[in-house]
Amino acid sequence: MTDKPQPGEHDSDLPGFLGTIDSIISRLESVGLAVSVLLMALNTIANVVGRFVFQESLFFSEEVNRILIVLITFAGIGYAARHGRHIRMSAIYDALPAPVRKVFMVAIAIISSLCMLALCYFSIGYIGKVATSGRILPALQIPVYWIYLWVPVGFAVTGIQYALTAVKNLVEKDIYLSTKVLEGYDDTEVEL
Amino acid sequence: MAATIFLTMIVLLLLGFPMMIPLIIGAFIGFYELFNGIDKMDFMVQQFMAGIRPASLIAVPMFIFAADIMTRGHSANRLIDMVMSFVGHIKGGLAVSTATACTLFGAVSGSTQATVVAVGSPLRPRMLQAGYKDNFVLALIVNSSDIAFLIPPSIGMIIYGVVSNTSISELFIAGIGPGLLILVLFSIYSMIYARIKDVPTEPKANWKQRVHAVQQAIWPLGFPVIIVGGIYGGIFSPTEAASACVLYALILEFIVFRAISARDIYETAKSTGLITGVVFILVGAGAAFSWVISFARIPQELLGAIGVDEMGAIGVLFVISISFFIGCMFVDPIVVILILVPIFAPVVEAVGLDPVLVGTIVTLQVAIGSATPPFGCDIFTAMAVFKRPYFEVIRGTPPFVLILLLVAVALIFFPDIALFLRDLAFAKG
Amino acid sequence: DTWRYAFEEALTDVQGVYATKFKEEIEKNSDHEVELFPYGTLGESADIMEQTQAGILQFVDQSPGFTGALIPEAQVFFVPYLLPAESEQLSEFFRTSKAINEDFKELYAEQGLELLKMFPEGEVAMTTQEPVKQPADLNGVKFRVMTNPLLVETYQAFGATPTPLPWGEVYGGLQTNIIQGQENPAFWIESTKMYEVTDVITFAGHSNFTTAVMANKEFYDGLSDADKKLVQDASEAAFDYIVDYQKGLTEASMDKIKKAKPEMVVNVLSEEERAPFKAAAAEVEKKFIEMTGDSGKAILEQMKADLEAVSK
Ligand code: NA
Ligand code: NA
Repeated sequence: MTDKPQPGEHDSDLPGFLGTIDSIISRLESVGLAVSVLLMALNTIANVVGRFVFQESLFFSEEVNRILIVLITFAGIGYAARHGRHIRMSAIYDALPAPVRKVFMVAIAIISSLCMLALCYFSIGYIGKVATSGRILPALQIPVYWIYLWVPVGFAVTGIQYALTAVKNLVEKDIYLSTKVLEGYDDTEVEL
Repeated sequence: MAATIFLTMIVLLLLGFPMMIPLIIGAFIGFYELFNGIDKMDFMVQQFMAGIRPASLIAVPMFIFAADIMTRGHSANRLIDMVMSFVGHIKGGLAVSTATACTLFGAVSGSTQATVVAVGSPLRPRMLQAGYKDNFVLALIVNSSDIAFLIPPSIGMIIYGVVSNTSISELFIAGIGPGLLILVLFSIYSMIYARIKDVPTEPKANWKQRVHAVQQAIWPLGFPVIIVGGIYGGIFSPTEAASACVLYALILEFIVFRAISARDIYETAKSTGLITGVVFILVGAGAAFSWVISFARIPQELLGAIGVDEMGAIGVLFVISISFFIGCMFVDPIVVILILVPIFAPVVEAVGLDPVLVGTIVTLQVAIGSATPPFGCDIFTAMAVFKRPYFEVIRGTPPFVLILLLVAVALIFFPDIALFLRDLAFAKG
Repeated sequence: DTWRYAFEEALTDVQGVYATKFKEEIEKNSDHEVELFPYGTLGESADIMEQTQAGILQFVDQSPGFTGALIPEAQVFFVPYLLPAESEQLSEFFRTSKAINEDFKELYAEQGLELLKMFPEGEVAMTTQEPVKQPADLNGVKFRVMTNPLLVETYQAFGATPTPLPWGEVYGGLQTNIIQGQENPAFWIESTKMYEVTDVITFAGHSNFTTAVMANKEFYDGLSDADKKLVQDASEAAFDYIVDYQKGLTEASMDKIKKAKPEMVVNVLSEEERAPFKAAAAEVEKKFIEMTGDSGKAILEQMKADLEAVSK
């Protein structure tokens, strides 16, 4: 634990209006994550109960879970980036002196951000393709691309988080794993 | 192209990039080279989606969710207390119990990631408390979970059976021997480890204490009943068993024990979602990367250069073992099976190898590969769940990998380790 | 050039055999090279379809059942008892049908695909734990079907409890009794080892698994006339080859199954036994028209007319 006061889970470092948006996104992510997991449990349990009690599977159950797993994954990556929870192999990095680590961290954050933003761009292209193809989910009879709408948002939010991490490292004296987390694994032992 | 990709990936990995980035950049390079630009890169996203699509993956978040509730509440500790009342006084007893629990849970749940979480999260703190070193504990959990690949039902064997037109029932039976052998060797290693490191034991419990511990664990014993009884008894698919566990855990901890609050459930769901996201984005990135490898026919090119056709049976088995081992270091095991099995099929037939033996060896290599650096889903899961750095998770791995490789070599020279039970059951040979 | 061709089955299954023949023909008669990508190596059915539409792949084999999400009319092949069980008639139908060679060609063209060939993969059989002689025998049987509304409808009409399950879970599901039945062509039952975990195979003649090979339309339209002819000839040759290959394929697969599992019970339902299944299935046709509207109805009627023509 650090002896600095812990910022609130959804507090943002961004100034003014941007900060408000950032903290709204943070809230949405965390509610989205929790609710999706709970819905997935509910849906899967309902399917089992349906099969036993009513001898009837929910024929759309699998498709609902497909929607939820995309939601969870792409809400999860933004949330994980915000809290510095993406996993990395840090042995060599950890052995470097602090100033070099700082340069590395800025480079890592920038490149990661670019990757995420590129994937955001490509995912919009992909959604466009799926949308024009008119493919629908066989059981739910809704367009397949609806499943993917959260994907570019997730990539964008993650990309922005990494960009902010780069900025934060440039402005502040310490080295930050994410906008909210100082480097060092012990800090992340905080329950999320 | 292959050399550029692998080199770039390893460098980025070592520099401390988040694990998904080397995979993503590897795929970027592949798409760029294959299609002369960024024109087709949309399809990386298609493969991300394909990677996280399999319905069986749903078992992972569900088991994580159930395990987290059990660990926050009373269930997990009561189950462990019960086991400890029987094995706590034996040196290495807790480690052997952990290995056994991982193997059993992994075998039935069919998901090694779910095993790492569901068995690992309650048992790791207990093992640390008992005096085991963390790197041993992590390696034990990750590697024992991977034995699950060999013990039926095994999705890897089903895929192998279909692709190679081999009896899946025979494969299932053939996997049991090597699976148990590995468990025994892991157990022996654990006991030696406990002796060398002089891990303290608990005083031997008397029967009164044991009866009390069992009574305390009566309700939580419903979990193994649901999982093992439910799946082998034909009541649940693994995914359904996972969700039944969630339901049961909620009923126990929220209503019966009143150990958790509604707020806890919400927080648990959130942390489940976080871990799922962190692991599944790697599954997705891995799928995009695998697609590039597959589309560019890199395995075919590499293997064509070796000249497998001229080797004898033992040589072919070694090449197969090494190929699958290396393949699974970088690519998802299922994809490796789908790509490599058809490539080797003609050679296997030409040298007259038993496809069931080959399938067992392939499955074992797949298991080893998933727990072996640099890329291994179970390593990633352990990092995400236990919040430990990469090298701490893998530092204790070498003795386990050594045991696994020994068994792999033993299988090549003594195929009966796998085939004995098969021949017995199917009256062959 | 290198042309890439992906399909939904293993190299040794029917689609793989067709693809291999196609590759041989192309490579024998030209300098083009064809690379084959079997099941799962580039993704699942929907993935390889999208890759073909985008021109990443030049050829793809996708069964109309999976194309249903893209071209709803293609689900007509799930209307039970529509196609003849007799194989000569069946191949003649695929050769001459206006519905297939003209109407469907247009529907596929709208999706950027050049339909090269549709061909049957074999009669679909049910595998179950108990004998199925009448619809009542399916009561309470949890029967695995692909996630498709018409298949769900069919098995509901037959009296079973249709249970959509991804195929990776089918073998384990049958073994552990989560489901008690599934349907597939005989060669598939053999190659995926479904017979190991079921005891009875029933031929009720309700469906014949159909599949379709197509090319990316832009790629195809951009070919020289000589190359177009090359592709058409190769598809034709592969079709003839597969019709021939299919003769006795079901028998051969059944022989393998019986050899591996002598106690397997095989029932071929008689016309009288099939009647109640046919009656029950009439509902499914209505459902198909309800789902696909006028254009589906038109295709269905054209197919019936084409079938009429070959049955004379
Ligand atoms: Na298993
Ligand atoms: Na690995």
